[in-house]
Amino acid sequence: MLQRTLLLGLLAAFVATVSGVGTARVGAQSAWPSADAYVAADKDSANWILPARNYSGNRYVSGAQITTANVGTLKRAWTANVDARGPLEVAPIVWNGTMYVTSSHNDVYALDAQTGALKWHFPYKPHVIAFSANRGVAIGDGKVYEATLDGHLIALDAMTGKPVWNVVAAHDVSNTFFTMQPVPYKNMLLLGASNGDWGGIGYLSAFDAATGKRLWDWKTIPGPGEPGHNTWSGDSWKRGGGAIWSGLAIDPTTSTVYVDAGNPQPDFLGTTRKGANLYTNSMVAIDISGAQPKIKWYHQFIPHDTHDWDPAMPPVLFTGSVAGSARSLVAAGDKGGNFWVLDAGTGAVVYHLAVSTQKGQNTEPSRKGDIACPNTNGGVEFNGGSYMPDTNAFYVPSVDQCGIWKSQGTATYVAGQFYLGGAFPALYGPSTGYMNAVDIGTGKFLWRKHLAFPQIGGALSMSTGVVFTGGVNGDFTAYDAKSGEVLWHYPTGMTIQAPAGTYTLGGKQFVVIAAGPAGVNFADPRFNKGAPTLEGKYSHPTAAQISAFTLP
Amino acid sequence: MRTVALSLAALVFFGSSAPPRPARDDHGSAMSALADVRAAVAEIVRIEDGYAVGHGAYLRAAHRAMNALVGRRDDGYAPSFGDPGDGIGTLGHLDRMLDQSGSSLWTPAVEGAKANVLAAAASLQSSLGQKEMEDYEADLTQALASLALVVGRATETGVLGGLDGALANTALGVPAGATTVSGCAAPNRAPAYGIVAGRLAYVALPRSSASAGIPNGFAVSRVEVAPAWVVLYAPAARAAIALCRAGSRMRRMRAVAAPGAQPPYTAAQAHAGSAIYRRACLQCHGADLQGAAGPAVAGTEFLTNAQHNKWTLGDMRTTVFENMPFSNPGSLAPQQYADVMAFLLASNCYAAGTQPFPTAAAPTLAKVKLGPIHGARLSNPRLGTCSVR
Ligand code: HEC
Repeated sequence: MLQRTLLLGLLAAFVATVSGVGTARVGAQSAWPSADAYVAADKDSANWILPARNYSGNRYVSGAQITTANVGTLKRAWTANVDARGPLEVAPIVWNGTMYVTSSHNDVYALDAQTGALKWHFPYKPHVIAFSANRGVAIGDGKVYEATLDGHLIALDAMTGKPVWNVVAAHDVSNTFFTMQPVPYKNMLLLGASNGDWGGIGYLSAFDAATGKRLWDWKTIPGPGEPGHNTWSGDSWKRGGGAIWSGLAIDPTTSTVYVDAGNPQPDFLGTTRKGANLYTNSMVAIDISGAQPKIKWYHQFIPHDTHDWDPAMPPVLFTGSVAGSARSLVAAGDKGGNFWVLDAGTGAVVYHLAVSTQKGQNTEPSRKGDIACPNTNGGVEFNGGSYMPDTNAFYVPSVDQCGIWKSQGTATYVAGQFYLGGAFPALYGPSTGYMNAVDIGTGKFLWRKHLAFPQIGGALSMSTGVVFTGGVNGDFTAYDAKSGEVLWHYPTGMTIQAPAGTYTLGGKQFVVIAAGPAGVNFADPRFNKGAPTLEGKYSHPTAAQISAFTLP
Repeated sequence: MRTVALSLAALVFFGSSAPPRPARDDHGSAMSALADVRAAVAEIVRIEDGYAVGHGAYLRAAHRAMNALVGRRDDGYAPSFGDPGDGIGTLGHLDRMLDQSGSSLWTPAVEGAKANVLAAAASLQSSLGQKEMEDYEADLTQALASLALVVGRATETGVLGGLDGALANTALGVPAGATTVSGCAAPNRAPAYGIVAGRLAYVALPRSSASAGIPNGFAVSRVEVAPAWVVLYAPAARAAIALCRAGSRMRRMRAVAAPGAQPPYTAAQAHAGSAIYRRACLQCHGADLQGAAGPAVAGTEFLTNAQHNKWTLGDMRTTVFENMPFSNPGSLAPQQYADVMAFLLASNCYAAGTQPFPTAAAPTLAKVKLGPIHGARLSNPRLGTCSVR
C-alpha cells in the first residue's frame, strides 16, 4: 500500500516536472487539472488542488508516508515569508511542484513547493471594509483565482502572476467583501459573499471561470413570495445577513452544494427581526445542476440567533458508520459550541454534541450586558475538522471562551459600517481550547484534550493514524488518532489559524502550514508573556510564514 | 442582615458618651455620611410617593436632596431650599475620610460610595432641567439607584459593599475611642472590637449592657453568648479569622505588595493619542470610550473586566498593538500606538509620569496589573473615566 502510493507520487512529480519545463505558458491547458481531476482529487497524492483537498471538504489522505511510528522525526524543510500585516488563514494549493498562497491583504505568492523559493508575487492594495483575512486561491486553466477584500474576483496568469481579468464580484462593495477561497466546479467558480455584520445579505455566486462573468446567485435570505420569507418580521430581511464566509462541500454525483449561511443581522438585537430568520445559521443543500440553483433542503442550527454564533465550520461530507450501519453524512460546527452530524440526503439531525462551554444561550443580550458562552470567536471555527474512516472518528478543534454581550436599543444601517445593534463582546474569563475526537458510531467523544489556548487550526488526518492541527499559541501538533497522544509538535512561534495540507514531491511527503500574527480572531493577550507552548516559549510574531515539513 | 444594619444604625452605641471629637473620626464621618444619604433619600421618596402637583414642589425636593448630598461648601448647594442633612453633606464627610493620607481596607468602598454620590448628584442636577414629569421621574429613579449603592450592603466587602459594607466588615466599624483586640483570639474583655488586619471580626458586649442594642453600623451574622459577654460576629468574620492562620505569610505579602507598579506614559503622549483615538478607534469604541461595535476600553466596565481576566498592561498593549484597529491591525506606526495607549491609560485615570509609554514591547509592562483604580479623581464617575486634555 505504502509503496504503491510512493510510486504514484513519484510518477506524478515526474510528469509535473516534465510538463513544467517543456510547455511554460502556451498549451498550459492540459497541464491544469480537468473537471474529472477535481472529482478525483483525493487520489492524487502529489497535489492539493481544492481548499480542503476534495469536494467532500474532508482533509484526509490515505496511504501517507508519515505514520505514527515516524512522525516524531518530522523536520522543517523550508519556510517562506509573506506579508505580515494580518493573520494567515490560507489553505495552500499545490500543483505541479508550485504552491500558491495568499496573505491577509490579498497578496498572492507562487512558491517552489520543494524549496519554498519565490517564483512570483502579486501585490494588492485593497480597501479594507472590516478586517483583513484571506483563505487562498483556486487554480485552473493556467490561472490563479483570488477573491479580494474589496469585492473583486481576479484571475492571474499562473506562470507570471500578472492579472488576466479582474471583475467586481460583490453586488455592493460598500458592505461586501470576500475571505473565501473560490471553488472550481466544472466551468464555474463558486464563491460566497462576506457581508454578515455590515448590513448586507449573503449569497453564493457562480462565475464563468474563463471570463469572470456572473452565471447565477443564490441568496441566503428569501425575498417576498419565497418560502421562508415569513420567518422575518417586517422589512428586517432586507439587511438580514446570512453571509457565506468559509468553504463548501460538493457531491459531484448529484451536483449538490452543501453550504452554511452565517448569522442574522443586526447581530445582537433580535427584537427588530422577530422570527426564525431563515436561512441564517443554516446548512443548505443546493442543486446546481441546472441553469439556476435550487434549494433541496436546509437545517437551521440556531434559529433567531442573537450572539453571532454562525456555523463557521465548512461542511464535511462523508460516509460514516452510525450504530453499525453505513450512512451518508454531513458534519457541521457552529460558534455556539455545537458539533453537528446531519443526514446528507435529508438534512435530518443524526446527533449533535457540545464541544465548548455553553452558558446563557437563551438570553438575548441586554443593554447592560450579559455573560454568555462561547465568546464571538468561540466554539467551532472556520477551519472545521476532518473525518477518518479508519477510526470512524471526526477530529475537530474548538475554542472555550465566554464573553460579555451587549445590545443597543436600535441598529442603524450606515454603508461600510458594522450593523450589529450592539457590541462585539469583550472576552470574559479564561481563553482555552480543545482538540476533540468524536466517535461517529456513538456521537460521543473518543478522546478530547483540554489545551491552554484556543484551537482553530482545523484537522488534517491520515489513514496511518496521524492527525495534524495547529493552535493559536503556534504549536503545530500531530496526535495519535486513536489515543489523542501527542506524537510530535513544532513551535512555529506565530499563531496558527490556517488548516494544514499535504503533498508529495521528489518522493517525499510534505506537510504544510501557514502561521502569522494573531489578527482579530485571536486577540489573546497572554501571547506577549511568552505563553507556554508544548515546548519552549511563544516568540513574538513579527512574521507571517508558510512552513513545510518532511521526514528526514 | 441588611435590615439589621439599616434599622439599627440609628441606635446609640452603648456607653459612648461622645468623647471630644478627635481630629480624625472616620467612623463618625461614615455614620454622618450615611445620615445625609438617608436624608436625601427621604426627600426623593417623599416626593415620588406623594401627590404633589406643580413644578415647584419637585424642584424643591431635588434641591433639598442635593443639599444633603453635596454640603454647603459645594457650588451645587442651594441654601434657599433648606437642608435636611447636617450641612457638611455626604460628600463633605467622605472627602474628609479620603483626604487622609494612606489608604485603609475600607478606602475602595468609600471611593466607590463617593463616585456614586457624584452620580446621584448628576442625576439630581439633570432632573432640575427637566420639563416632562416622566423625565424628571427617570432622573430621580436613577439618583435613588446610585444612592442605594452608596449605602451598599453589609454582606459585601469591597467597592460593592458601599458604606454599610465597610462599616460592617472593616475597622471603619469601630467608633472613635472604642477598645480593639486581636480578632484572632476570643475576646478577653468587653466592650471590645476584634480586628484582624483591618477587618472586623466581632464585637463583644458586656451582657449587662447588651440590651442597649447593636453598635452603630454593625451587622450581625452570628451570636455567641459567653458567661460575661455576648459576642456578635460580623458578616466577614469567617474570612477575617481565616487570615489569622495565614498571619505570618500575610505579613510577608503585605511587605512586598507595597505600591503597585505604575504604567509609564506622559501627558504629552496622552494628548497626542486623543487625536489618534478619534481617527482610528472612536468609530468602534465610542466617543465616551464605552463601546459601540467593540467593547468598552476605559472606565469601570473595562477595568473590572480586565481585572477579572487578570490582564496586565502588557496584555492590553498586545491587543492594541497587534489587533487594533480591528479593521486594519498593525496599521498605525509604533509611536501612534504608544500615544493611543497613553490616551487610554489617561482615560482610565492612571496618573501621567515622566517615562513615556514605550514603542516596543517591554517586559515591565507585564508587572502592571489592570483593575479599578482606587483614589482616582474621576471626571465622569458614572462611567469611571477621566477626561484627557
Ligand atoms: C472596526 C472596529 C474597531 C476599531 C476601528 C477598533 N477596535 Fe478595538 N475592538 C474591536 C472589537 C470588535 C473588539 C473585541 C474583540 C477582540 O478583542 O478582538 C475590540 C477590542 C479592543 C480592546 C480590548 C477590550 C476588551 O475589554 O476586550 C482594546 C483595548 C481596543 N479594542 C482598543 C482599540 C484601539 C486603541 C483602537 C484604535 C487604534 C481600536 N481598538 C480600534 C473593534 C474595533
